[in-house]
Amino acid sequence: MASNHTATEGSTKRYKVEGPKKAIISFIFSVLLTFLAFATVISGEINKDFTYIILIGLAILQVFIQMAVWMHMKDRGHTFAIIGILMGVFIVFTCVIMAEYWAWW
Amino acid sequence: MSAHSHVEGQLPHEPEKATLEGRNKILGFWLFLGGETVLFGTLFSAFLALRHQVLDGPTADELFDLPLVALATALLLTSSLTSVFAIHALHTNKVKALISWLIVTVVLGLAFLGLEIYEFTHYIHEGHGFTTSAFSSSFYTLVGFHGAHVAFGIVWISLIIMQLMRKGLTVVTAPKTYIAGLYWHFIDVVWVFIFTVVYLMGKVV
Repeated sequence: MASNHTATEGSTKRYKVEGPKKAIISFIFSVLLTFLAFATVISGEINKDFTYIILIGLAILQVFIQMAVWMHMKDRGHTFAIIGILMGVFIVFTCVIMAEYWAWW
Repeated sequence: MSAHSHVEGQLPHEPEKATLEGRNKILGFWLFLGGETVLFGTLFSAFLALRHQVLDGPTADELFDLPLVALATALLLTSSLTSVFAIHALHTNKVKALISWLIVTVVLGLAFLGLEIYEFTHYIHEGHGFTTSAFSSSFYTLVGFHGAHVAFGIVWISLIIMQLMRKGLTVVTAPKTYIAGLYWHFIDVVWVFIFTVVYLMGKVV
């Protein structure tokens, strides 16, 4: 079936396979962010509310890096992946805000 | 025959996206991960609401041991990196490297699971059972659900390794391997929030 067409389109056009360099850089970033989170808690220098904000900020940043690079969300053709995850995140935020409201007021 | 124009007997570039079935699998899996986000999000919101209701049981601060959590985090984070290497081997069509990296991923996952089982039995000896308090119930439900996901991922990836050994890398096995990699990353993403919200925030007094 493939005998009569040029059959070279796929092989001559060089697809660039992304090297693991970006993956290793994001791994180093993840380790660093994790270390910062643990260090913030262990040192205990900063007050409670501000520590919470730092911890949540570090976690969101780390998850963002991992999803973009390791799960290829930054690549083309991931529109529906982003929509799917954002719908999930929207419901999660609603639940978390509801739970916190319920627990504190 | 494949709708793509590639040399016969040679694997196309990005074999996981070469067929419509493969592309649909990846899309469907992302929507599944959206659902998983909701599952874990609701468990997190329950935990956040109940984490101070300890009754006579131990508090989070008395219970948790940060070096153990740091070790578990290191294991899972490294296993996520090795699954990145596995997918890179998939894209460069190196079946042996792919299988080896997947085996490393499974071994690290097993080590994580072993550590979690040790942790839970230790907590039960400290008087922190499932029914001790609202805090303990929501803790075991949330962290246990994550552990169950790790266990499922280990079984799943092991089966994929067996299939890769028997059938090699094809446009059928490639999408399966790719989505198993996505699943494993998702487990790590959930763990980032668990060590932050459950363990670290529990240690802030």
